[in-house]
Amino acid sequence: MFSDTLFLLSSALTLGGAFAVLYSKNLMHSCLYLLGSLFGVAGLYACIGADFLAATQLVVYAGGVVILMLFAIMLTGGASNKINKFGLKKIPGMGNFSTYMIAGVSAFVASLVVLKIIADVLKSQGPTNLVANEPTVFKLGVLLVTDHILAFEISSVLLLGALIGAAIISRPRREIHD
Amino acid sequence: MISLGSYLAISFFLFVCGIMVMIARKNIIAIFLGIELVLNASALNFAAYTKFVNHNLDGHIMSIFIIVTAAAEAAVGLGIVIRFFQLRESIHIDDAATLQN
Repeated sequence: MFSDTLFLLSSALTLGGAFAVLYSKNLMHSCLYLLGSLFGVAGLYACIGADFLAATQLVVYAGGVVILMLFAIMLTGGASNKINKFGLKKIPGMGNFSTYMIAGVSAFVASLVVLKIIADVLKSQGPTNLVANEPTVFKLGVLLVTDHILAFEISSVLLLGALIGAAIISRPRREIHD
Repeated sequence: MISLGSYLAISFFLFVCGIMVMIARKNIIAIFLGIELVLNASALNFAAYTKFVNHNLDGHIMSIFIIVTAAAEAAVGLGIVIRFFQLRESIHIDDAATLQN
């Protein structure tokens, strides 16, 4: 009962957030709707017993990525010229009717392809043998340092490279005079 | 109610929304929002298959690595966006077409 309620709330939050990200005309509001959608995905993780994934989703996305994006929006928001270098009027940043039409057509094609793939699973709603949820943290920790140790170490190097790269890229270059 | 089909339907909707956001927007940060939606859809699929089909935890490991990669991608991407804004005073995607001519 509790699990069903949590599932309904989380799926409504996820789907509504994703839809609002698509249809909001304000970039800041759109980022906040994305935050709601990520909270919903964390609730969906919690429904299927993925406790560590739910916590990681909340910490990394809600605490890290969305805040980073809000900072980037506030740092780069400002007056921008509406005319491009050819003197023509630019398409507005949040899209207009024609870009939405193109997006609708391509989303239709992509959804046909994906529905063709997942149609069998959606049709066969057979009784699945559900096992009870149990804590996954211990097993995940053991798996990360035994079976998946190489991927774990590579991802640590990837994170280090990403941090150094982001710091170097966004650093203001000082010109070297003679 | 909690079944593999419903999870696949939710992540399908997230994926289609992410694709539409990526194509319809012309703002670089708004395109990043679409990329995050698509990555979330794939990670949700991995976790759902772990729960309903094969009951080992490899799907959770895959989801964790997807989240880590998304965080690294967001850090580097937003660094590039801020640097681009310092150079061009704009974050419109059509201004990033220097290689075209």
